[in-house]
Amino acid sequence: MNLKRYLIYWLKTSELTFESLIADKLSSILFITGKLLRFGFMLGFLFAIKEKIKLVSGYNIDQLVIFFLIYNLFDLAGQLFYRGVYWFRSDILSGDLDFKLVKPISPLFQILTSHTDFLDLPQLFLVIIILIMRLPHVTWQNVLVFSLLSLISLLILTAVHIFVVALGVITTEVDHTIWIFRNLSGMAQVPVDIYSEAVRTFLTFVIPIGLIFTFPAKALYGLLNPALIFLTISFALVFYYLSLKFWYYSLKTYASASS
Amino acid sequence: MKKYWLIFRLSWQNALTYRLNFVMWRVRSIIGFLASYLFWLAIVNSNQNIAGYNPSLLLTYIFLSGLLRNLVISNVSYTACMEIANGDLSNYLIKPLGYFKYWLTRDLADKALNLSFFAPEIIALYYLLRPAIVLPQTSFQTASFFIISLLAALIYFFLSFLVSTYAFWHPEHNGWPFRFLFIMLLEVLSGSSIPLDIFPQALMKIFQISPFSYLIFYPNQIWLGRLDTNQIINVYLMTFFWLIVFYGLFRFVWQKGIKNYSAYGR
Repeated sequence: MNLKRYLIYWLKTSELTFESLIADKLSSILFITGKLLRFGFMLGFLFAIKEKIKLVSGYNIDQLVIFFLIYNLFDLAGQLFYRGVYWFRSDILSGDLDFKLVKPISPLFQILTSHTDFLDLPQLFLVIIILIMRLPHVTWQNVLVFSLLSLISLLILTAVHIFVVALGVITTEVDHTIWIFRNLSGMAQVPVDIYSEAVRTFLTFVIPIGLIFTFPAKALYGLLNPALIFLTISFALVFYYLSLKFWYYSLKTYASASS
Repeated sequence: MKKYWLIFRLSWQNALTYRLNFVMWRVRSIIGFLASYLFWLAIVNSNQNIAGYNPSLLLTYIFLSGLLRNLVISNVSYTACMEIANGDLSNYLIKPLGYFKYWLTRDLADKALNLSFFAPEIIALYYLLRPAIVLPQTSFQTASFFIISLLAALIYFFLSFLVSTYAFWHPEHNGWPFRFLFIMLLEVLSGSSIPLDIFPQALMKIFQISPFSYLIFYPNQIWLGRLDTNQIINVYLMTFFWLIVFYGLFRFVWQKGIKNYSAYGR
């Protein structure tokens, strides 16, 4: 793989997306305002219940705030880099995927990164600032494990988006699939430990939102043992491998309809 | 009337033609409900009283929010902003049917379709989750809940159409940016996932005068018996007030918009 070619491609598509956002400033402001409003409301809710409740499944509200911020960190990263998935359905319906398939660059890379969503940046900066301000004292070992699991989270997030795209090729259904994932991932705004055993298992090993959003935050608090860290890394590698297999399988079913 | 009945039937046929799409939409709806329910269940398992809500009241609130989302907020008329933006509105202006009646019929069909699927879903979820549901104590509360909910659906129709008129002046992205902001405001201010009276009193005063709270929060409060007769009458007055305001505002802005309309993209 020629990394320089991919970097140039990503920079170019990102530049074009950024120019389109600048060209319509009012729309960009409305989108950013909406995103900040949603974020502020949930954060406000957590602060509002701080005086009214003590613990939720052993976590205090300050800890829940950290989990919520880390959820946002990875959720925004997924949207920032992989927003292209939300545009993919029209490529399938119109047959425009053909144009991506014939280019000398991975079609999967083109699909995932076609729209870098700069509108998520203001919220991302805000999340990072609040996270730095509110982060309790953590050991350098925990920071190291958090960094490692952050990379693993991004790998699983990538795999989830690949599964959605592949499913889109087979069924032409993308929008609802990605939104079902987003709705489910919303459950990880709080640590998945607060749910019942069955729900927790489902959210960890079937739709791995617990691994993506909760585990890095738990690592920061030193709440993960080495066995769980090893299990997460193994799961991520297998999950990513399976997503690529599924993608190649989906391409065999692509009929280039409407092109 | 006959032609609108035909539109109603065609809307159902249209929705059921793309079955996978419809099934996925229902799955999304159930997951959205379950996410909210399980979140609150986890909180009430650790805390028996949150701002005057015991577990039964809170879980009933979430069940009712699910119903009200389908009854009040579900609509297809939001696509009117795309028709304005891409010039398809012209197709309707020359046809012998009322544009608003057309969309009102389609919205009614959409709500009926959603509710017909929501009913068995919610019954199944009730038997699965077994929450202690709170029922209204008086027939006045029951009747008021349904009347206010229907009026709220009408408020939402005009409010949503008002948002669509933004595309007359700003057709970029099919008028979606303003709708996105509207959806976020709705999510925050309607109380669809968080009861508004959990927030501090100062914020609650703002929620009280916002039209959004009359879409989900107040119908919910009436059912739960958290409002006395005087407060329910006040909710009626405010609901009528917002209905008249949004109907008037919508007619005014629509007239202005239609003068500005130049059928872009045709």
